[in-house]
Amino acid sequence: MTHTLRKTLLFILLFFWILITVYGWFQIREESNPTLKTVTIGFQAGDEFDIAKSRGKFATKMEKKGYKVKFKEFQNGAAMMQALATGNIDYARVGDTPPVSALAAGTKLTYVAAGGTKEKGSGIVVKKNSGINSMADLKGKRVAYTKGTSSQYMVLRALKTAGLGINDIKWVNLDQDAAAVAYSKNKVDAWANWDPTVAQVEITENSKLLVNGQQAGAVNRSFIVSPSKFAKNHQSLSKLVIKYGEQDMHWANTHHKQVIKLMTKELKLSKKVVTLEIERRTFGIYKMNDKYVKEEQEIADMFYQSGVLNKQATVAKHVDYLK
Amino acid sequence: MDNTIILKKINFSFRKIIPWIIPIVIILFWQLIVSVGWVSATILPSPWDVLKDGAELTVSGELPKNMGISLYRATVGFVIGGSIGFVLGFINGLSKIARLAFDSTVQMLRNIPHLALIPLVILLMGIGEPAKIFLVAIGCMFPIYINTYHGIISVDQKIIEMGHAYGLKQSAMIRKIVFPAALPTILMGFRYALGVMWTTLIVAETISSSSGIGYMATNAEQFMDMKTIILCILIYALLGKLSDYIAKNFEIIFLEWRG
Amino acid sequence: MKKEILITIRGVNKSYVKHIVLREIDLDVYRHEFLAFVGKSGGGKSTLLRLIAGLEQPNAGKIKQGGHLINKINDQARMMFQEDRLLPWMSVQDNVTFASKKPDDQKEAKKLLSLVGLTEYANAFPTKLSGGQKQRLALARALFSHPDLLLLDEPLGALDALTRRNMQDLIMKICQQRKITTILVTHDINEAVRMANRIALIKDQLIKEIFDNPYRGIDTNEAKEKRALISDEILNKILN
Repeated sequence: MTHTLRKTLLFILLFFWILITVYGWFQIREESNPTLKTVTIGFQAGDEFDIAKSRGKFATKMEKKGYKVKFKEFQNGAAMMQALATGNIDYARVGDTPPVSALAAGTKLTYVAAGGTKEKGSGIVVKKNSGINSMADLKGKRVAYTKGTSSQYMVLRALKTAGLGINDIKWVNLDQDAAAVAYSKNKVDAWANWDPTVAQVEITENSKLLVNGQQAGAVNRSFIVSPSKFAKNHQSLSKLVIKYGEQDMHWANTHHKQVIKLMTKELKLSKKVVTLEIERRTFGIYKMNDKYVKEEQEIADMFYQSGVLNKQATVAKHVDYLK
Repeated sequence: MDNTIILKKINFSFRKIIPWIIPIVIILFWQLIVSVGWVSATILPSPWDVLKDGAELTVSGELPKNMGISLYRATVGFVIGGSIGFVLGFINGLSKIARLAFDSTVQMLRNIPHLALIPLVILLMGIGEPAKIFLVAIGCMFPIYINTYHGIISVDQKIIEMGHAYGLKQSAMIRKIVFPAALPTILMGFRYALGVMWTTLIVAETISSSSGIGYMATNAEQFMDMKTIILCILIYALLGKLSDYIAKNFEIIFLEWRG
Repeated sequence: MKKEILITIRGVNKSYVKHIVLREIDLDVYRHEFLAFVGKSGGGKSTLLRLIAGLEQPNAGKIKQGGHLINKINDQARMMFQEDRLLPWMSVQDNVTFASKKPDDQKEAKKLLSLVGLTEYANAFPTKLSGGQKQRLALARALFSHPDLLLLDEPLGALDALTRRNMQDLIMKICQQRKITTILVTHDINEAVRMANRIALIKDQLIKEIFDNPYRGIDTNEAKEKRALISDEILNKILN
């Protein structure tokens, strides 16, 4: 290659590099409005706030009240709790176990609201042809779970409900993607998980729910938590979040077709999987009450007793019962 | 005589093809095992499916947007970290006092794995863009620092003496002798830092982001969307190859004198 | 012909830690002469040259050139080293002019390149040159600023016999034409006797003896024989 040709080629490549970089910069620059107060909400793909974000009305309503909503997506609850502990997000929509673990670790957080449950879409899945038809059949089998998450709680609860002991099964601690491969390759016999993964596995891996959260007594409710200091100073804002959030949840429960369409695009899953998930799930955002606190306390107790956590958290001390 | 020229031409174009043979064979084999059904398409989607996924994501605008954002983070981080590394390396290479003051500290910091810095970075800089760019900058700083520093301290003393004997003053000495002599090593660091830039970016983009190629990959991972995961891996491979190609051409152009 | 003194060296001592290299050196170098330093390797002849170049300073004594004390880089002198010490990142022509601040020196550079026979390589990089060509380029570079004094630190040591002989002739011719005072350091006595009109033998850290060589550059058989005799004499003195 001649030198001039090489130089020209390099110049063109660098030109496009810079062009795309500038394009990326424009993409990332937020049109921040200084008169609005920014509220940062952490969420995970497919959850209540993902619906609110995709529908778009939530942010518009909040803007009218003087708040600019910034949605931040997280890959898992633990990461969100870390961001919450450092004050980087104001509200976090998490599952039932991450706040318990965070409380035990000393994070100053406050429960401000509760969400719906996934009790029909979470549980322990097994292959239909595995010959496992009841919890008793699970004796001696390998069960995949992820340490410290709802899946561990579900297995613990399901064992207790079925009258089995902790050591009656073989516990296999795997993270989500490792478990997916292990399950599909039959390296484990059962897998504790929740929607949409459960729905996905039921459809693509010829599987069924051996026991769901409702039967096991682990309802897999979602919660909205805040840094304690923030919650104390922003009660009216929390009420707005609950009010507008609940409006979107009501819409979601009555407009399954649209929700399925939105989530199919957002989660990049097949429509079949999303339909199965949405049809068996009830969305909601409610003020905290004693029933929800009791559910959380049961998790805290069980995790402490079985040694998952080395400190016992008292959930009731960290709740904001908004009037 | 004509024959030898033709033979040489064939030989020449064949040499250009050789590096591509293995990747092409792998892709064909991969397509084959999926098409025949030896491997389930949910575990390993075929290259064709991956390509279709890429096309869909391009049409929807998601891929260009995320690529642009990743490239923005990578470039800004590289420019900031690279400049600091270069200046620091240059100063420490030239001045014994600066070397005593800074070098051991830099060497100590250099050995900290970037991943270990994440909690600290979140505490100090939050989870926004500055944190990601900071991580990339840290990653790119050290290779450029080390190479600039070593390039300068290992300039042949005999040539420097020659410069003195021929009456070069400090600034001319740096411009005409020290910098050009250190340039091959500096460009090596530049090339290495471009590689580190991409690997650090993947880590940085998993901190909590809702954009970028790293986000696309982790998001897809969460939903076992193998097509997009493989697409992202391929994009990283391509971007890595592209930056390496650019660095290599910089070397060829600036180091033409090596013959 | 009255001899004009260019350099006076008086009472020069040079030692490195615990190690004496030169002592009590007194020497006059005449303008336009071709002087050679011979002696065993490591015997201090290169060090004396470097002291004259101002690359190093004596521990005692004085070196003056044209009445000025040499206490920093001697900018009236240019040195050729054993290695070519070219700048590989500059073109051949830029290697000649690299130390110059004036941009209109290209004409002089072209003249020098044609003098050493490198005109066709002016825009090439030094990697394209052979060993002999590289030393010719180093010679052109040394001549560029019209120095009064040319210092040659075994510049031909690494060349093959034929190239070496051609270089010897080229250097002698140019130094004569341009009336440059030249000091050559060499371990090759025949080279010294062939090129220099005075040869200083450095032994035991001292200048032991200075030989006059009126037969330099004469191609008669008689002159050759006389040169051979001087060579033998010097060699005997080195070995005893």
